[in-house]
Amino acid sequence: MDPDGLEDALDLARDRSQYQGVYVYQPAKPGKASGERPTKRRKVSTIDTGGQKSDVHSFLPLLNGEESAECVQLRHDTYKQLWSEQEDKIQKILEDVDAGVLTDVLSFVRDTSPQTCNGCIPTALVTVGSNVSSLSRLLSRLNDQLTTSGEGGVVVLESGDAPNLKTSLKNIIRAAVTNTEGNDGYQKFLTDRSGPRLLGYDLDLLHDYVQRRGTKKLVLALRDSEAFDPGLLTDLLSLFKSWLDRIPFTVLLGISTSVELFEGRLPRSCVSMLQGKHFEVQEAGNCVDRIYESLQAEPNAKMWLGRNITSTLFEKASDYFLTPEAFSRMVKYAYMSHFFANPLSTFLGGSPSPAMSQGRFCEAIRNLPSFRMFCEDLVESGSGNEVPPLLENDEHLFEQAVKHFEAGQQNMRQIFQAVRLIHACLQHTQGTKKTSFSDLSVHALSGELSESPIVDDMLAIVRALDSEKLGEVLETLPKDMFHQTPLGEIQAKLRTLQETYAESGPLHSEYNINSSVVKTTVVQQRIQLSKGKANLPEQDIEYTKILDCLIGTLQEYFAETLIPPQDLFLHEAFLFDLRNPLKETFGPRPRFAIERAMASPFDYLFSSPDASGARISAKQPATAILYQLYLESGALVNVHDLWQAFYGVFENDQGKKCDDRIVMSLFYGALSDLKSFGIIKNSRKKTDHLAKVAWMGL
Amino acid sequence: MQPADVARSLGAQWPCREVQARQLASLLHPDIPSPPTLVVHGISATCKSTIIRGVLSTLEVPHAVVRSTECITGRHLLTKILWNTLEAVGQKDEWEKFGKGRCEHVSSLTVLLEECLASRAEKKQGKFVLVLDEIDRQREAPHTLLSALARLGEIIPSLCVVLVLGSTPRPLFLQNAAVPHISFPPYTRKESIDILLASPVPVVEGLPEEIISRIYPHFVATIYDTLVGPTAGSIPNFLSICERLWPLFVDPVVQGESPPGGNTEWDFSHLLLKNRALFRHQGESALVHRIVPEESSAPSKTFRAPLAPKPAPSALPSLPYFSTLILTSAYLASHTPQRLDTIFFSKFSSSSLSARNKRAHHRRRLKVLSQAQAEDRANDDPSTPNKKGKRTKTRINKSTLSAAFATSSATTSATGAGGITGPSTILTARPFPLERLLAIYHAVDPNPPANPIRTGAVADQIYTELATLRRLRLVVPASGHVGATSMGSGNTSADAGEKWCVNVSGDWIGELAKGIGVEVGEWLAGGLD
Repeated sequence: MDPDGLEDALDLARDRSQYQGVYVYQPAKPGKASGERPTKRRKVSTIDTGGQKSDVHSFLPLLNGEESAECVQLRHDTYKQLWSEQEDKIQKILEDVDAGVLTDVLSFVRDTSPQTCNGCIPTALVTVGSNVSSLSRLLSRLNDQLTTSGEGGVVVLESGDAPNLKTSLKNIIRAAVTNTEGNDGYQKFLTDRSGPRLLGYDLDLLHDYVQRRGTKKLVLALRDSEAFDPGLLTDLLSLFKSWLDRIPFTVLLGISTSVELFEGRLPRSCVSMLQGKHFEVQEAGNCVDRIYESLQAEPNAKMWLGRNITSTLFEKASDYFLTPEAFSRMVKYAYMSHFFANPLSTFLGGSPSPAMSQGRFCEAIRNLPSFRMFCEDLVESGSGNEVPPLLENDEHLFEQAVKHFEAGQQNMRQIFQAVRLIHACLQHTQGTKKTSFSDLSVHALSGELSESPIVDDMLAIVRALDSEKLGEVLETLPKDMFHQTPLGEIQAKLRTLQETYAESGPLHSEYNINSSVVKTTVVQQRIQLSKGKANLPEQDIEYTKILDCLIGTLQEYFAETLIPPQDLFLHEAFLFDLRNPLKETFGPRPRFAIERAMASPFDYLFSSPDASGARISAKQPATAILYQLYLESGALVNVHDLWQAFYGVFENDQGKKCDDRIVMSLFYGALSDLKSFGIIKNSRKKTDHLAKVAWMGL
Repeated sequence: MQPADVARSLGAQWPCREVQARQLASLLHPDIPSPPTLVVHGISATCKSTIIRGVLSTLEVPHAVVRSTECITGRHLLTKILWNTLEAVGQKDEWEKFGKGRCEHVSSLTVLLEECLASRAEKKQGKFVLVLDEIDRQREAPHTLLSALARLGEIIPSLCVVLVLGSTPRPLFLQNAAVPHISFPPYTRKESIDILLASPVPVVEGLPEEIISRIYPHFVATIYDTLVGPTAGSIPNFLSICERLWPLFVDPVVQGESPPGGNTEWDFSHLLLKNRALFRHQGESALVHRIVPEESSAPSKTFRAPLAPKPAPSALPSLPYFSTLILTSAYLASHTPQRLDTIFFSKFSSSSLSARNKRAHHRRRLKVLSQAQAEDRANDDPSTPNKKGKRTKTRINKSTLSAAFATSSATTSATGAGGITGPSTILTARPFPLERLLAIYHAVDPNPPANPIRTGAVADQIYTELATLRRLRLVVPASGHVGATSMGSGNTSADAGEKWCVNVSGDWIGELAKGIGVEVGEWLAGGLD
């Protein structure tokens, strides 16, 4: 039997063409002949000219490719501008969060010396918790401060830079010199010395440098102290200690677990060389909350993240190690997705240009679910005659859309203002467990906040407050609220009332527990309790009136503003709420994908028409067949059994004309594939058996 | 200057080392021929280097000192010896003549040193002393280094090499007969107390001079007998303890409290009685050095400070929910024998009464077993671990036993201040394959997905979190064999089939797990009983 015929029979040729969709590998340049030496790599600074251009081109025309180039440009520019604003805000928050620790650490570095530490190396222990990235921000700012004042600098060492003592010393010296002198300065420093050339790891170099620069503080920061080999750390520190009289070291250790755990893991001899102070960096959760608040609740916000995204983001922040930077990257991705894939995002550009109204843009608006709802509402409310122009006249529709878009944005702003108001109130009314801003936002974005128990509880507590506390609460509320709501009026009334009755102490309303009286009466030998109101003095009655007014206003305000954003016309343009791109991008699932590809390969490959029915068939790639057989087996697999089953699959398909040599070669190929995936290995327990290493669906 | 004079002049500053100073001075005296090699040995903080330097500078012998701990490699040491010698003889600017300042082998060092010493000016010819401090702790030293260095003095007549060792040398370790050794023994009780009394008394404001002179000697002796002597503390250690405790000790006097028993004046025994608690609390903490010193030792605080409850240790770190769950699973995987997995973690009959009884039975059996192991360890008798006949005979094999016996296990090394408590940690952490961790994760997950078929696999998320846990050294890859956690270089790559091992104490994980609603004891030997 000729092999070609069999290949046809086995459909191997087609098999290969199927693979072509997956494997396209074209080396960029033909490799050089093996005899030639490779050219030396030089550092050439390439000026990136094409960057700007390709940037715009990364945005594709939408609406089936019929979107005009202007709109694409507009989307791109709007995204750039909007995100840069948001990024500035995030940066400011991050700096603000670190400021406290920074000053503490800086003063520690300035004030301590080996003499104040009993001859030990001055050590700052910075616990960062799960907020891993904050340390690098802290260090770079510390470095800036120290270098600008000429006191010294910060050398950052990571566990990856320290495989052994020599290399880590080399890295430390190089980093210390390049920090102020630059890379060329380092080379010059090595060569331009009187005297013999020193070895790269000789601390004499650093000593020289310190003397030349007059450095007073050299901070050595270990970013991930836990990951350092304890033996190496001891070596390194003992070396520093012996040089401490000549080089003014200060050690800064970044710790992610706790000081006790870290200290316990070091040898005693190493601990006895260190002495210093412990600093704590604020937890990431708080920081993330503040970032979210500034993104969503600023009075000039333009687009918002919906409730699905918010809950995804905060789930990630509470369940995983998530740095504020990673958080902001996720938000950035959400913004990017919105502008990349939504043609309506051109609205966010601010000035509606006529170019937008052309082409299919209006058609796109008409296809929106929110447009349909809007029209239905119009018909129901009896103004059905407004609908036909919207459907027929593009210009009219566009005008209306712009109007409603702005109104919708205003609505969103009000929603978040209300959320802020509730959040501020909750700070006073809730005792120990505070509801975070993000929780409130999730409720608000799904339109449930005004009826939620959180708000009810809050109002109940506000009702029971006395006048002083109420005054405090009103003081802390966002100031811009007072112009739009009668809150300002209420506050003024309260003030005058307080001034009038200044001497009688805090006023209580009738809702206060103290002002209700329990009456006990004995009726037919039974005791009856009945609650009644105590006789209130006049000022308290007045105060109660004010309170009633306040609660009423608040209730009305909440009911008015806290509407579900999904009800707004054109909410698709300013509210991004697709869960999937975020989840898929930031939680890649390579193992799941591989398992699925092998268990049901036709999910990925072009299916042959008859292959869909049978589970295992010879039409599938050999590796997939073998994997499925593997799934059916136990923890130990006899190779011969596996081969028999594999052969059986082909035998069923081809009948008698199947050549076992080719099948055998396929079998071997598939087996080695599985081995390279790391899901089987040779078993030591039994000869001729394979051990199953991976299970599906874990 | 005669050796006795040298010893006397040094003795004023560094007491109790007269004998050694005299020996050194007579051996290194410029007018007397010196032995080619000299060995000085003694444990740390016995004043070796200081006395040598003092003697050499008093005698005005040209010398060079090389601190061997500052040299990273053997080559570095040799180069440093050459430079320091050049510097000492004032020929630093002519380094190019001497091998261009490079020296890669001991034999070339011999030649270069010889040239260098010969090139000195006529009247400066004479003895030159080379002190190699802590040479026995040189890194990356070839094993012939010491004997080669000892030979230098024989080849170069004007050179005398002083080797300073931190440990007691073996006999004939230089492969050379009759090298003079000078021993610096640890200070005796009397010497230590004398040295302490010679150094200035820690300043306490408002304390009469008379009381200091009366009480301080007793105080120092008491400190030595209670804290320093039994723990073989060094002089600096002794000094720092005295400095910390003295202000607290005399605090009643400074505060003007009236002495008990109608006496008009405080005497030592009254103060000691009053301060019994001080020695217990402060003394013990004074012995253990912490990176962050405890705040309560501030002398200006009120006297009751030592009795006040210790400041709570800084809160243990809390991990995100998902990482905590993974760490818990890793802990369980490390501490449950694999053959019991189906009983403890299988979901088929997990809620039935019989299954619970079965689990409880196995927990108890494991507890008995681990207790037996602990006893065995105490008796140092590795015979059969069971005591109750056939019923409790276990199938825990040699390797698990050796795991239990291994003292350098991950758990014991990681516990730090807390120490091992609870029966569960007696069986030491054993490595586990990654798939087992994943399976156990699914078994202990307190919020299992409502529809496990439709929700995707979590394995991929676990991998990323595990990488972070590994970076924090909470879970470490175990290299091949039981107990030997790889503490190697900081590289973070891992092989596919590699085994992992948990690296923290159980108590903390138990706390963390409780926070997310997982009861660790349910799955552990002796937990819940």
